[in-house]
Amino acid sequence: MSFALNEVEATAKRATRGAGYPWGLAEEASKATRWLCAQGLDGVSVLAAVLQGETKPVSTISQGAALSDRAAGLKQADARLGEIAEPLMILPFAAMAARQLEQTVTVACAKAKAVTDGSLVSISGEFPKNADLVVHLGGVLEAACSKVTRATPDKAAWEALNALAHRTYAPATEESRRLGAGAGLSDND
Amino acid sequence: MQGAAQTSIPRRDPQTVMRLSRLGSLHQCRLSFMRVLTRRMAEENWSFSRPKFDVDDKGVGRAVYTAQGPERAYSLVAFAHDLPPEMRSDRVIATAWDATFTLFDGIPSEADIDRLSGNVPLQEAGRVSEREISVSRANRSVRLWEHMVDVLSRGEQPDAAMLRSVGYLMRTTAVYGSGKLGAADREMIADRPEMQAPFQAEMLSVFLTRWFVRDLVEHMAKVRGGDAAVSLAPETARQLGIGNSTGLGMAPFIVNHPVLFNNWIMAREEAISRVRSVEKATGEEIAHFLDLLAKTRTSVNSWMSEHPLQIEKLAQLKRDLDALEAQVGAFDFTGRLPWDGLVSWAQEALSEEGQECLASLILEPYGALVDGLSGCMADSNSDVFVIDGAMPVGEVRDLIENSFGWAKEIDWAARENCARAWYVSEEKLEPRLGERFDETIADYEQPLAPARDAAMALQALDGWSPEEPIAAFLSAHPEHRHTVRRAQITRVAPYGEIHDNTISAQVMPIDMLRAKLSFFGATHFDPRSDRWVRICMYSGAPYPQELSTENCDLWVYPEGQA
Repeated sequence: MSFALNEVEATAKRATRGAGYPWGLAEEASKATRWLCAQGLDGVSVLAAVLQGETKPVSTISQGAALSDRAAGLKQADARLGEIAEPLMILPFAAMAARQLEQTVTVACAKAKAVTDGSLVSISGEFPKNADLVVHLGGVLEAACSKVTRATPDKAAWEALNALAHRTYAPATEESRRLGAGAGLSDND
Repeated sequence: MQGAAQTSIPRRDPQTVMRLSRLGSLHQCRLSFMRVLTRRMAEENWSFSRPKFDVDDKGVGRAVYTAQGPERAYSLVAFAHDLPPEMRSDRVIATAWDATFTLFDGIPSEADIDRLSGNVPLQEAGRVSEREISVSRANRSVRLWEHMVDVLSRGEQPDAAMLRSVGYLMRTTAVYGSGKLGAADREMIADRPEMQAPFQAEMLSVFLTRWFVRDLVEHMAKVRGGDAAVSLAPETARQLGIGNSTGLGMAPFIVNHPVLFNNWIMAREEAISRVRSVEKATGEEIAHFLDLLAKTRTSVNSWMSEHPLQIEKLAQLKRDLDALEAQVGAFDFTGRLPWDGLVSWAQEALSEEGQECLASLILEPYGALVDGLSGCMADSNSDVFVIDGAMPVGEVRDLIENSFGWAKEIDWAARENCARAWYVSEEKLEPRLGERFDETIADYEQPLAPARDAAMALQALDGWSPEEPIAAFLSAHPEHRHTVRRAQITRVAPYGEIHDNTISAQVMPIDMLRAKLSFFGATHFDPRSDRWVRICMYSGAPYPQELSTENCDLWVYPEGQA
């Protein structure tokens, strides 16, 4: 089944919040997931793996946000992120840095390399589940991923995000149903 | 802002404009989305047709209404249902409706309609595709519907007072766009000229829905009365709008889209500033204003509400209109800056209802100064989302204080200041507002209290060097990322934040609903509670096949006395 990118973004935000992140980082993760999906990559699977697999004290999402926040620092020195789980999740944040700096940014590990100008991304090699990442300014954007307007995520990953999102919904109670929306009156008038 | 005009009177301060009580007093104006749509369609000479109307004697079936523009067509695909009264609910948690709709991008094939018939009637439980732009549903006004079918079937016309007291035959209870339920993302249509202004697809969908509803009621009268039945008189039909019944969903929308909301408010504020800066008014401009002021009185006289708060607001608006009429009777329009003179007088003499009504009215004679601003009302600036981590702490602090300096003085631990919490229910994801201290909802709170969050962030920033980049603070305090982002957004969106407490014991969510609905162009605000409101759309408007450059704009102002 195909999904609107807005649906992906909304679900990703709730799922990240449901996984215990503060709202600000949930917003970042949801935009990142949407960006990946717009490149034709399965951002939903990447986010689901990030949210389900986390054991490290500093998560991939926080690392990504810090990379974008410190984009200007890339002009002085490369960013050595160390070992990162689900390295594809770093690409949208590298793209945010590229847009801020108006130059291409390269994300590389021993086995793979991605270059983005902020809008497009080209990937050579295959990023492993965990990779020692270095991010630096510059790089040549080669055959870029073809952008798409719909997302076709892996079903299990989509369900995993929805299960996490569900944690943000308040359980139904009679009081909530009666008072929370404040309708009260009959609509049969 | 597009098409720069000379302005000597600045835009009003966000601290004045963005108070909830004022947002809850906004009125439609030339920039309202319904009027932007009908003006464009008339100017471009759109044509309208009904390629299908296949409804049985029980009122069950399907219909298609097509609007053909210069480059593209859009079709409303309507499904009519036979709804048992006990299932009729305007809330999100409803599962069946009197009618369901989708706006199709183009002209649907039979296969498209079959596909949609298995999904659109289910609404949230169904799926649509990128070929569809919006999904909506509507319920009947039971009393007006029955009255209308009854009289038309007997060859008579409806009772004028009865018609006025309700105003519509059906009210929409949700109009979903922007990718909801699988529909096309906003980005897929945003670069089309006719979809550039906000909510044009949704407004078109409602415009065509009004036509369908008229056809359906006439069809049902014909079924009942046979040859004795008559059609609705055109002038009576024109008075009918489409109702809308709106709950809390709109309130989160304006908080969650600060750039978009800013662009609406800022366009209107820029328009007000331009007209206040007009040096001299011509006789024609003054006469036009006075004519529409009189018609506004007629319109307001027809607004009905049983809600005590709205009864008082309406009474105040009527007193304001009395005072305004007296003032303009004696006013010297020949002086310099006449509109600024009136607005300045109103700031002292009228309530916020009257002030905002006047602010909208003075725009009317100045389409050439105002209408182009509708092109600035969409949100196309997605990169404001990106936090500038190099910004010094001191600058972030200043930005937060610009909008929320007042929030530091509030005791956020006191119950009355944080009595409420916004949350989403697991029941069909209905947005709700609850009592933080009485219900177990705090863990599910949505980020819809920017003022409280700003006060918390300012506290956390104490002790940080003003020169330090904000990135360092954000690494230590990711919980304030949301607030820092919003603060940076106010650089381009000075009207993006509500300068009030959205979780206090006294908050009136209907103020937020009305602000949004006023930009749609709604009238007849009729709150059902502090968090639920009914309104009327397109009342007085021509039907699609009657639309012309003569009647496409001022239809919101009724002729005659009410």
